[in-house]
Amino acid sequence: MLLEKRRLAFTGSTDPENGFDMTVINDLFKILVFPGFLFVVNLGLFLEWVDRKIYARLQNRIGPPWYQPWLDVLKLFSKEDVIPEGASSFMFTWLPVFYLAVTVTAFLCIPVGAYAAVYSFPGDLIVVLFLLTLATIILFLLGWYSGSPFGRVGAVRAVTQFLAYEVPLVAALLTQALLADSWSISLVMARTTVGFPRFVGVHLIALAVALISLQGKLLRVPFDAPEAETEIVAGPLTEYTGRRLAFIRLAERTEMAVGVGLVSDLFLPFPARLGVFGFVISTILVTFVLSVLRASVARFRIEDTTVLAWKYILPFSALGMVLAIIVRG
Amino acid sequence: MMLEKIIALSRKSSPWVAHFNSGGCNACDIEVMATLTPRFDVERFGIQLKGSPRHADILICTGPVTAQIRERLLRVYHQMPAPKYIVAVGSCALSGGVFHDCYNVLGGVDRVLPVDVYVPGCPPRPDAIIAGIVKVLQKMESDALELADYRQASAAGGGTTHVHLQ
Repeated sequence: MLLEKRRLAFTGSTDPENGFDMTVINDLFKILVFPGFLFVVNLGLFLEWVDRKIYARLQNRIGPPWYQPWLDVLKLFSKEDVIPEGASSFMFTWLPVFYLAVTVTAFLCIPVGAYAAVYSFPGDLIVVLFLLTLATIILFLLGWYSGSPFGRVGAVRAVTQFLAYEVPLVAALLTQALLADSWSISLVMARTTVGFPRFVGVHLIALAVALISLQGKLLRVPFDAPEAETEIVAGPLTEYTGRRLAFIRLAERTEMAVGVGLVSDLFLPFPARLGVFGFVISTILVTFVLSVLRASVARFRIEDTTVLAWKYILPFSALGMVLAIIVRG
Repeated sequence: MMLEKIIALSRKSSPWVAHFNSGGCNACDIEVMATLTPRFDVERFGIQLKGSPRHADILICTGPVTAQIRERLLRVYHQMPAPKYIVAVGSCALSGGVFHDCYNVLGGVDRVLPVDVYVPGCPPRPDAIIAGIVKVLQKMESDALELADYRQASAAGGGTTHVHLQ
């Protein structure tokens, strides 16, 4: 009986006997298990391990075992919760939850290989970008309401850096959208990455810009001035402990999965051809590039980040966009 | 019980350390920093250095406690979320060392805080510091399991259930 129900849930048909609409269970499964919440959170934690392992190998170390990120989060869930005196208790409690909700929602619009996104419509690329922007705003609020000067400095830096990388990131993704003549992620995926890439030069420019600005979006070295532990403790996260920190950590990993997944869907040929397996492989590839970047450079000061973005990366991304318009004709 | 075992494992496998110098000569701090370099690869044990005491499970204390630093040391300790552990690193943190009879020195770290593991040496080698932290990890696991046992026993009809979460 249960198996029958499960089969129906997968096929999405209605059960005529009790008149219950099985598509509800189907949708819930999609949102909560695959390719929704459980999948993206575990993918994010897995990518964290890939990142830390590659970083360790590049430093000639062994690095953490594969289950390390899961144990880190579990430990944080089992620790004491502290609300500091100067913090806003409401914001302090709910912002981490919103953070995770926003990033998981962003992933619902991203197709996992050939497996269609939970919710896709023409223009979902804009929605994903908007939700990622919202995640940065939430990070700012996290720091601002934690009642710590380190948190506030980190929050302001996060927003300053947001002004630096956001425009090149959107421009790089816009280049792909221009080449494919669509704002839908699955259409861009189908049109630009299947078959021989005709505009390979433009793709490469956009990919380089997207990878560098994604590094900034995810606050990783060299763009980790907002969380610089050697100067401002832990930036916006300074005062967070226990469960709240675990939620923030999960949200950051999910944000990484969303960003990396978006770049692999839009730029790499594997997700469209090899399905879910190809999607995971391409996220590992993109993570590899980001880890090598993290391991080989030192931190920029916040003003250097802004100068780099506006003087060098933005003209480069504009060049990509102009080329895209020219080659499209 | 299964859940408690997993939690004990997670505590043991993911110790985040914060580092505090309560008035030493910096030699121990240099050794602690050396411990965290790629050569010794403490990430094998899941050890990560955290800037904020709010994120830390273990406080690594170096140096004797001076009268002035006492308040700050206590404050950093109280900022850490429970369960929390202290490792005293170096002769001065153990007993005050060569500074033991200075007018402004209170003595070792255990005059102010409950120390779990003492790592002697002036300064101790990174290997010794790693050995000390691994000893704390064993203590963390046994503490978590003991607490779980105690809870189970008291739930099965034991006496009072006042458990000091440490």
